[in-house]
Amino acid sequence: MLTQSAHAASDRALIPGYRQPAHDKAGDWLRQCVVFVGVCAIVLPIFWITLTAFKLPKDVYSLSAAFNFTVTLENLRTVFEHPWNLGSKIVNSLVVATSTVLLAIPMATMAAYAFSRFEFRFKKTIFLVVIASQFIPAAVIVLPYFLMFKQLGMLDTRSALVLVNMSIVLPYAVWMMKGFIDAVPVEIEESAMVDGAHRARVIWEIVVPTALPGIITAAVFCFTLTWNEFLFALIISKQDALTLPIGLIGFRTERGDLWELMAAGGILITAPMFILSLLVQKQFIQSLTAGSVR
Amino acid sequence: MTQISLRGLYKSFGATQVVRDLNLEIADQEFLVLLGPSGCGKTTTMRMVAGLEQATHGEIAFDGRRMNEVPTQSRDVAMVFQNYGLYPHMTVAENIGYPLKLRGINGADRQAAIERAADRVELGAYLQRRPRELSGGQRQRVALARSIVRTPKVFLMDEPLSNLDAKLRVAMRAEIKHLAYELQVTTLYVTHDQVEAMTLAHRVAIMKDGVIVQLASPEEIYDDPVNTYVAGFIGSPPMNLIEVNAQASWANAENGARIEVAAPRQGPITLGIRAEDVQLTDMDRAHFSVEVFAFELLGDSTLVTIKLGQTGVTVKGDKSLRLKFGDRVGVRLDPAHLYWFESATGLRIR
Repeated sequence: MLTQSAHAASDRALIPGYRQPAHDKAGDWLRQCVVFVGVCAIVLPIFWITLTAFKLPKDVYSLSAAFNFTVTLENLRTVFEHPWNLGSKIVNSLVVATSTVLLAIPMATMAAYAFSRFEFRFKKTIFLVVIASQFIPAAVIVLPYFLMFKQLGMLDTRSALVLVNMSIVLPYAVWMMKGFIDAVPVEIEESAMVDGAHRARVIWEIVVPTALPGIITAAVFCFTLTWNEFLFALIISKQDALTLPIGLIGFRTERGDLWELMAAGGILITAPMFILSLLVQKQFIQSLTAGSVR
Repeated sequence: MTQISLRGLYKSFGATQVVRDLNLEIADQEFLVLLGPSGCGKTTTMRMVAGLEQATHGEIAFDGRRMNEVPTQSRDVAMVFQNYGLYPHMTVAENIGYPLKLRGINGADRQAAIERAADRVELGAYLQRRPRELSGGQRQRVALARSIVRTPKVFLMDEPLSNLDAKLRVAMRAEIKHLAYELQVTTLYVTHDQVEAMTLAHRVAIMKDGVIVQLASPEEIYDDPVNTYVAGFIGSPPMNLIEVNAQASWANAENGARIEVAAPRQGPITLGIRAEDVQLTDMDRAHFSVEVFAFELLGDSTLVTIKLGQTGVTVKGDKSLRLKFGDRVGVRLDPAHLYWFESATGLRIR
């Protein structure tokens, strides 16, 4: 033992400048400040919108009524009335987002499986093209879309919005899901094949359940993207297929911005996402930590 | 009741040839072990039998029927993987029952078969657990139970014990041996552990660089190795291989030690001798004397390592033997148990 520790001491002496790192207290403090500022930047606007949604119009601009105001549910009622009609817009948003996810996720799962498991020519290039399609600014392709749907007589329809949203969402979903499927050990697929399962059954009974947390994560992500999508909905929908985010600009009127109504609409947009994310939080964390605990 | 024939089997991955002209007949109910270091092509060979890899050339046949084009799921083989290959989202019972589910066996029949298989590997109490709640040994049992829940044509086992700790490995080895005896299904077993090969196999195929070097019973492989590769792989400790320069009636070791044995030819030659055939004796009977390099107690015996130049030689000693570093011992090589190999090629000289 003695000779061993003597060895260790002399080894250290051989490394010039060897020094045990000290505890950096200033760094700790700085890190906490950065985190605090970051949290404020995210939470305060949401907090402010929530307050505004329950204010009377006269209290909205009043600093003295910033926290001390009469609570009203009037705004949440008004937004459902003529001319705002947020109800039909919520239905549109729900239909478009749900349909997009229901179509995109199975397609993305199959594409991701192919990219993850099969070898084929130009695989890397094709995958790169799929990802790169996301780098094209929406503003560049919105006009061709508009003209195409006009030709097809699909302007101002939910189907058109679903198609457009699929084009936005699919590359993300394929890319995310390839990662999740990569993490499923090939061995369990081979195991299932030896046990007697065909490829389709292997995917349905083994790969999908194992990658389910990831698939749910991708689905939520796609739903959120579609739910919040603004530019395409603005150009393609006009009256019948208007979605919630477009409904919000209606509150900018000639009489000025109706902040209390916009805030109430904002809550209606945010709340479903908030509830959805609470519901899938467990899955989400599971999928993020998968692999590290396996 | 399946006989496996591998004829002129080749497998390449790109430019790398992993298996080269492999010919092997595995008899019905035989337990055949493919033994070799990692990268020797043994797992690839097994995967070709399972249909998980396609042979580049050659034929795989079960009972004379060509299987190359038959997909994995139709070959009716069962396989135990090194990492168990359990389905993480299914319970133990569902894992074991999956092959039956795929064959349309449902309800009480399936349940009964699952319980029978689970009891056989003593897993009855764990049927409702998920794989992540089990220890490594238990997971391996689930994999075994899943493979015996139906009676497949062929069992394939890919290093099934190498992820287990040493103690468990010995216990599971005995269980696998017993299962093979009970079930009497043709088994192909892949391992890099020569002890597993020696204990389990009816016949062992030792592989190197994609080729079978020797195919024989464990006894024959131990007693009659064809080259230094096999001799150095089998046995624990493996055979001592000493480079010597042979003269008319004696041979000189690297450090100049003179060994009074008659070699089959003169010049550089490799002398092989097993640790149990090297004797530690008094100086007048010894071939040479040398200092002890290391002395190890094993409980039932002792191991003494001596050095002839750079070459370590292991000697198996009596359990009561006690030696210290630097003790001088007389060494005698039992002339009746010497093996001779060509130094250049490693091939046995008979």
